[in-house]
Amino acid sequence: MLPITHYLFLSFALFFIGLAGVVIRHNLIVNLFSMDIILNAASINFVAFSRLYGDASGQVFAMLAVVMLALELLVALAIIAAVCSRWKCATPDEEKDLSSQLDY
Amino acid sequence: MLNHILSAFRTYMHGDGAVVLPEMQLLLFAIGTLAMDSWAANTPNEKPASSPVFQQNYWNPAIALAGIAFSGLTLWILRARIRQAGELAGFHLTLMVDGYFVFFSALLLAATALVILLSVNFATMSAARQGRYYALLLFACISMMLMVSAVDLLVIFLAVEAAAISAYFLAATPGLSNRTPSAAVRFLLSSALGSALVAYAFSLLYGLSGASNISQIAEALARRHNVAKVITLSHQSGPQGSQMLQLLQSRLPEAVHWHAFTLEALPIAAFTLLSVGIILKFAVPPFQPEFNRANTETDLGILSPVILYLSGMYAIAVVALLLRSMFTIFADSQDIWWHIVAALAIGGISYGVLASLRQTNLERVIVYLSIAHMGYVLLGVVAANEAAATAMTYYLFTYLFIVTGVFGVLIVLRGQNTFSAALTDLSGLRRRSPVTALLLIIFVLSLGGAPPTAGFFGRYFIFHSLLESGHRYIAWFVVLSSLPLAYSYLRIAVYAWRGNKSETETVPVAFGVPEAIVLGICVFVSLAAGLYSEPFTRMARYAFGQ
Repeated sequence: MLPITHYLFLSFALFFIGLAGVVIRHNLIVNLFSMDIILNAASINFVAFSRLYGDASGQVFAMLAVVMLALELLVALAIIAAVCSRWKCATPDEEKDLSSQLDY
Repeated sequence: MLNHILSAFRTYMHGDGAVVLPEMQLLLFAIGTLAMDSWAANTPNEKPASSPVFQQNYWNPAIALAGIAFSGLTLWILRARIRQAGELAGFHLTLMVDGYFVFFSALLLAATALVILLSVNFATMSAARQGRYYALLLFACISMMLMVSAVDLLVIFLAVEAAAISAYFLAATPGLSNRTPSAAVRFLLSSALGSALVAYAFSLLYGLSGASNISQIAEALARRHNVAKVITLSHQSGPQGSQMLQLLQSRLPEAVHWHAFTLEALPIAAFTLLSVGIILKFAVPPFQPEFNRANTETDLGILSPVILYLSGMYAIAVVALLLRSMFTIFADSQDIWWHIVAALAIGGISYGVLASLRQTNLERVIVYLSIAHMGYVLLGVVAANEAAATAMTYYLFTYLFIVTGVFGVLIVLRGQNTFSAALTDLSGLRRRSPVTALLLIIFVLSLGGAPPTAGFFGRYFIFHSLLESGHRYIAWFVVLSSLPLAYSYLRIAVYAWRGNKSETETVPVAFGVPEAIVLGICVFVSLAAGLYSEPFTRMARYAFGQ
């Protein structure tokens, strides 16, 4: 196993990339996936520390984080579907890209 | 065989099951609400969504309220049980029932009951979504109760996410009119970012201690903080410094070359991320019009009872979680991180107060100022003595009831279908209905901090605890920032009291029975907790085990 600082630096880097994505980008879907990046950074941390301490709860937490992220994306897409049914953007055709319509 | 199953069930209910019994009962009643809704929906009597008169199904709120009553009864029994035992822990020490849980769960149950009562006659909710709406309110209450009782990182994260997802669905519940749910989408983004930051903070805490139970994390962080303190002391010249150096050399020789900063960096980073993440969950910058380029509507796009739920119950549950994590996990290093909390709180208060000065929409004023109120509560964390603990829980308790009162008046006014929550719509309220105007003025004065009411005493207790713990300048900031805060609230009162003749002046304001009950309870609490605050402060002290 590599020294723990390697994993910490990787997750710091991913965290800041994700944070920059959330703050700078205004597109809805890009925002959600930047949060995905932050959550994956946390998962890397959890798994690395779980290996360091020999404790399984880190890996359980990583699985939970993935499940929670999937649920949040599901809810976000459900709300976007409701938004789109109102704004009349039913299917993304070639002229109108779905994500570009979701600038807020 | 049956005996075996029954005895296993009984063992569960006496042990682990007792810890989650209030939540389990609410869950059963939430499922019952959904079942009732699907049974009632099978009758082909649903009016179209554009119809101004909707068909009220009174079973849904009745079942929801019955669930809250049962859950409250169970909480009362649990309270008697923990009086002997001190606290109950279950599920491998991941959930704990103590005074803190009983106080905040009772508060959350009361808040849910008030929101349900206010939504019963809320005219702009479409009929088809009622069952889901009440079930969602109960699910949200369940997850917030779990949030307050959780003492393990995994369960805290799960409960926070469950509460957040219920909040997203509630915020996106459509009404009768075609409002765009853009505020709900922005709430989702801010809250999801908060969850991601909280998850990262939890990963750092787990890494610092190797455990996920918050008391074990607290021990590990306390040890780390003690080593850092000894290292700092050993760098000083003089007899004490050399004594500390010898202590280090004998007990932990490799620490002689460490720096206190590297030891404290990760815990402080975890603390900052945790606080900012949790604050992002309720402080909801997406409500700001500056972020919305196309804000031409006066509405927030979210139903009024849901705004009440978000700025009242949800904020309180999230702040309760923040308080528990600050007081348990990070307790020993308070002398380092109080600066961060003070900065966040002062920033929040200033932001909330300054932003509310420009608003012309009543709901927006209340939502912005709720950020300021939570900032005041966080200043109690800065003080961190016993008086501060009482002050914070008293403040949260009274704030919930007063904000429910304000939104109660707002919802009663919205029932007229001519009210769009703009401040100018309030003009002439005194002539339309003096009772409503008087209630609104009492609530608004209480939030602004007029002396005989509960809101004044909440802030006064926090001011007093700050003075006692020596933070004089922050205490004076509390006083000075109350002035623009009071101005924002008094503006509302002035609109309600004065005001020109408007065309809605002849429309009378009608109270239904549920709204009357809610407003009665809220005005009682906001006046009684101020005039005779001893029972309420005793309840507040109970939350911290006294």
